[in-house]
Amino acid sequence: MGWAKYREDIASLWVNNNYERNEIASPPTRAIAKKRNGEMIPKQEKKMSKLKEFVMPTARPMPVIVLADVSGSMSASGKIDALNSAISEMIEAFREEDDSRAEIHVSVIAFGGPSASVHKPLCPACQMTWEPLKASGKTPLGEAFDLARTMIEDRDAIPSRAYRPTLVLVSDGVPTDDWRQSLQELLKSERASKAMRFALGIGDDADHETLKAFLSCAEGRVFEAHEARQIKNFFRWVTMSVTTRSRSATPDSVVMIEPTDLDDFDF
Amino acid sequence: MALRTYSFGASVRGPLHRREGTPNEDAWLRAEGRFGVLVVVCDGMGSKPNARAGAQAACAAVKEAVTRWAKVEGAPTSLLSHLIEVLWRLRLHPIEPTSAATTCLFALAAAKGTWVIGGVGDGLALVRSASGLRVVIGDRHESFSNETSGLGVTKGPKAWTLIELPPTDDERIAVMATDGVADDLLPERLDGLCDWLIDTFEHQQPAERWRGLAAELQNWPTPRHLDDKTIAVLHASASTSKETK
Repeated sequence: MGWAKYREDIASLWVNNNYERNEIASPPTRAIAKKRNGEMIPKQEKKMSKLKEFVMPTARPMPVIVLADVSGSMSASGKIDALNSAISEMIEAFREEDDSRAEIHVSVIAFGGPSASVHKPLCPACQMTWEPLKASGKTPLGEAFDLARTMIEDRDAIPSRAYRPTLVLVSDGVPTDDWRQSLQELLKSERASKAMRFALGIGDDADHETLKAFLSCAEGRVFEAHEARQIKNFFRWVTMSVTTRSRSATPDSVVMIEPTDLDDFDF
Repeated sequence: MALRTYSFGASVRGPLHRREGTPNEDAWLRAEGRFGVLVVVCDGMGSKPNARAGAQAACAAVKEAVTRWAKVEGAPTSLLSHLIEVLWRLRLHPIEPTSAATTCLFALAAAKGTWVIGGVGDGLALVRSASGLRVVIGDRHESFSNETSGLGVTKGPKAWTLIELPPTDDERIAVMATDGVADDLLPERLDGLCDWLIDTFEHQQPAERWRGLAAELQNWPTPRHLDDKTIAVLHASASTSKETK
């Protein structure tokens, strides 16, 4: 081993033992003014570090992108109201999350009416003001996939230092556009393919084949909601999964919380 | 012109390990010998039970590897990765390597004048010379944070990045950092970071330098940072104003 001085070299000094070093004190600053040649010297100010000039001033983002079905059928049985309420609760929970290593960013892509659109652009949950979604028109899911892929591939919106994004797809029907090509492009994209994906089918008319294809893995589970409260429960589970990741030492490889039933999250 | 090679660094526990009362899982090493001057930084992977032992063993394995490698005239650089892999596993035995996974980055200013820079896993390994600044490891383009390879994770030397730079009379600096530092650095300010490290710390006395650099790492400016932080510098310079090693 080298001749490290003054505890400089931790591997040389501490290899193969369990000694735990004391915490490092900050460089000493003169707390008391000194007297020299009869004159008082003002207290020395602690020098401001230049380090912050070279370091990111913001926390690492953890993006959560919700692809929300706002087709006309979502207006039945209070589904759109339950979805609005659930997303709003999720954002509120993320806003209050202050124990995480990441800053959770949220975006909502709505697909309904004549086309899909970014209802809420990606921004920190703590800065987001929620505006309820309105249900009408068709189910242009393919366009929503395109918007999600474009968002994830935008390195200004989601920098490389971000943690792996989460994509949440919620739908109650069959897509009305050519979604297969768009999904293939999403799954082939270098960045978008690394996103964690969750899917919820609402009601008996939900297209499970589409939702399963979105998950793109055999063990992926499509959740089902037959009542409004189960939509809320799904988003509570998503919220818990994301916040657990954000607190983890390894946010991109943490094991997801696996509910046996969405009713487990009925609290 | 004769160049003098300086090397220094520091490593601190991150807020997460401080809160949990668990030790630093980063390790670093600076060493001088007949082989030249070497700095190594390793980041034991947080999810592995023997991460700390893995990082420390990797530092020691790199030193042992370059010592043996430098004794063989004309030995190819690519052999270093093979040597480090094998020596790391030997040092760990009987610990299972996958339970002690670690990144491993190093910079060697060989006695013959060449520099070897590289490693395996994430973090930052950069070199700045007369021809400009080059990020050898850490130029993350497509992937996201916390996706890493390393000793005990990715099998074989193909996962390694190693570059060899010819001898030069010009100033040259290499900076190695674990991801706790590297992920928060502004890519466009790496040049300024090199200057700041040299200007602020290089000519300080070792104890003062260690305290100062460690305090900077502990007072890391990025919000919500949790990781252990390690940085090491290797600098060849004609400057002889002060003698500190």
